[in-house]
Amino acid sequence: MITIALSKGRLAEQAIDLLEAAGYDCTAAKEKSRRLILEDEEAGLRFIMAKPADVPTYVEYGAADIGVVGKDTLLEEGRQLYEVIDLGFGACQMCVCGPESLKGKLDSIPNKRVASKYPHITRSYFEGTKRESVEIIKLNGSVELAPLIGLAEVIVDIVESGRTLKENGLDVLEVIADISARVVVNRVSMKMKAQNILPMLEAIRLEIARRQRNDKEISES
Amino acid sequence: MGNYRFHTPDGVSDLLPEDCQAKRGMEQKLRSLFISGGYREIETPGIEFFDVYSGGRFVSPENLFKLTDQEGRILSLRYDGTVSAARLAATLLKDEQPPLRLSYIENMYRFRESGGGRQKEFTQAGVELLGVSSPQADAEVIALAISSALEIGIEDLQISVGQSEFFKGLMEEWKIATDGANEISRFLDQKDTVALERAAARFQLDEEARQTLLMIPALFGTYDAIDQFEARVKNPRALAALMNIRDILDVLDDYGYIKYVSVDFGMVRSLDYYTGMIFKGFTYEVGFPIISGGRYDKVVSVFGRDLDAVGFSLGINLCITAMQRQGKEFVFAGTDVLIGFSDEPGMRAAALTMAKDLRAEGLIVQVDCQQKNEEEISKIAVSQGIEQTIYLQADDCDSFEGEKEDI
Repeated sequence: MITIALSKGRLAEQAIDLLEAAGYDCTAAKEKSRRLILEDEEAGLRFIMAKPADVPTYVEYGAADIGVVGKDTLLEEGRQLYEVIDLGFGACQMCVCGPESLKGKLDSIPNKRVASKYPHITRSYFEGTKRESVEIIKLNGSVELAPLIGLAEVIVDIVESGRTLKENGLDVLEVIADISARVVVNRVSMKMKAQNILPMLEAIRLEIARRQRNDKEISES
Repeated sequence: MGNYRFHTPDGVSDLLPEDCQAKRGMEQKLRSLFISGGYREIETPGIEFFDVYSGGRFVSPENLFKLTDQEGRILSLRYDGTVSAARLAATLLKDEQPPLRLSYIENMYRFRESGGGRQKEFTQAGVELLGVSSPQADAEVIALAISSALEIGIEDLQISVGQSEFFKGLMEEWKIATDGANEISRFLDQKDTVALERAAARFQLDEEARQTLLMIPALFGTYDAIDQFEARVKNPRALAALMNIRDILDVLDDYGYIKYVSVDFGMVRSLDYYTGMIFKGFTYEVGFPIISGGRYDKVVSVFGRDLDAVGFSLGINLCITAMQRQGKEFVFAGTDVLIGFSDEPGMRAAALTMAKDLRAEGLIVQVDCQQKNEEEISKIAVSQGIEQTIYLQADDCDSFEGEKEDI
């Protein structure tokens, strides 16, 4: 039995589609219900529907063997996992954003206040990469508000299309990392259940390669 | 204040009699196993100076439990067995000629761990083999780790063996400096092939090198895996590392343990600490390795004595968790006999003598200390799951011997 932790919502749907296309029967996971554990004895698969931020935790502790989760969550949680496949979907960027007037001048503000849903990523970027101490203000949503009402100078957040930013007079100042959905595997499961997990990973890789070929053909034709 | 008096702090827990008995049983088995291999047991203090750990940068300070003594010096709770054993080998045991074989079974304290079977306080059993650097010494420690797991009842066991020098040799061959190497080691440790591909491009590795790099996280096996890398690598340091693992496998084959072992050159954590072979042991149902070990030749020198070192530790609590989840039953030895006695003269002395005799025969015997009557004794026995009771009173004194025989 392989236990797969999925991030509730769109990411879970996309992951299930992918697994089906890769040849795994995910009927159990598609069941429309409020149950949080969906099991298919025959297919040898069990799905856990978890909050995205909890997926790395389930996998690290071995409560799930495999997880599908955004790179943003992985960076924020910093768990000891194997991060084996980039699924490509859910693509966006983790960015430092602020008023357009700050473009190119980010380093000139001393003692910055940075608001974010991702305090860990923010800390490691400013302290680790930029070698700068900042005050981090943890928020839980609508982070764009913070610079508008003077709670913080800048924010760190994921940017997909940039529309929300634009509409609020904000812009991307610096890109921290590219984000997309990843397959993560528990370090013990990778060894103990290798004969089930390795073929599954291979099938997923093949399916992704096939999709990329398709996309290329479409864009070329 | 005061509201926490019913609770234990985060990351520590009580051990109830059943679990405690199972754990002590395991510890006893491990102790006997270590001693029979010549690994003399040591006990080091639960509190060390902070400097013991910070001197060699073995542990990041955030992971240590810290307190201060009356002089204002920083102390730390025991973090692992190796560093203390190294300190001992370099100081109190400095006149002993190598090889030194030491073992320990102690509680360790880690400030930032908790949950999922990983607690802030947990028991590790481990050994250190100091003053020898040979594949046979490496294999002896790996074999002892395997024996330990088998001895306490872990049946599904996998040991992954790696070599830190292999990675360091590759970095030399590809002329990648420390910062880059650290970055790549992190990607390897996470088997993050996406990041490895990018790193290969960034460090301008040629096609051959790129393929080798990507093989590291993907290739498992034994001799076959070593063969494949040997054909691709030219750096003498990396080749020596491969040779070392080949030799270790040969010895493990002589132990009859090769079936538990596979190589994994992607294990590249703590490169400053490990100087050669690295290994980890896994079983089902816990998300963390139950065994961790390797060669760390520079650890003892931090304390002023040049002694090569190889060792391992096994997490006993993790093993218990794993075995419970694997459905293994631990047999609990409860009380066999409850003895009660009447208040007539001589009965107490008779009861105590009888208890002593029965205990000498290996039974677990409780003697009533509340002057209960025969009926009450039976009730107590039922409620505590004690199968046999004996009630001593004057009129059937003659049959005592008979009753004892029955039991």
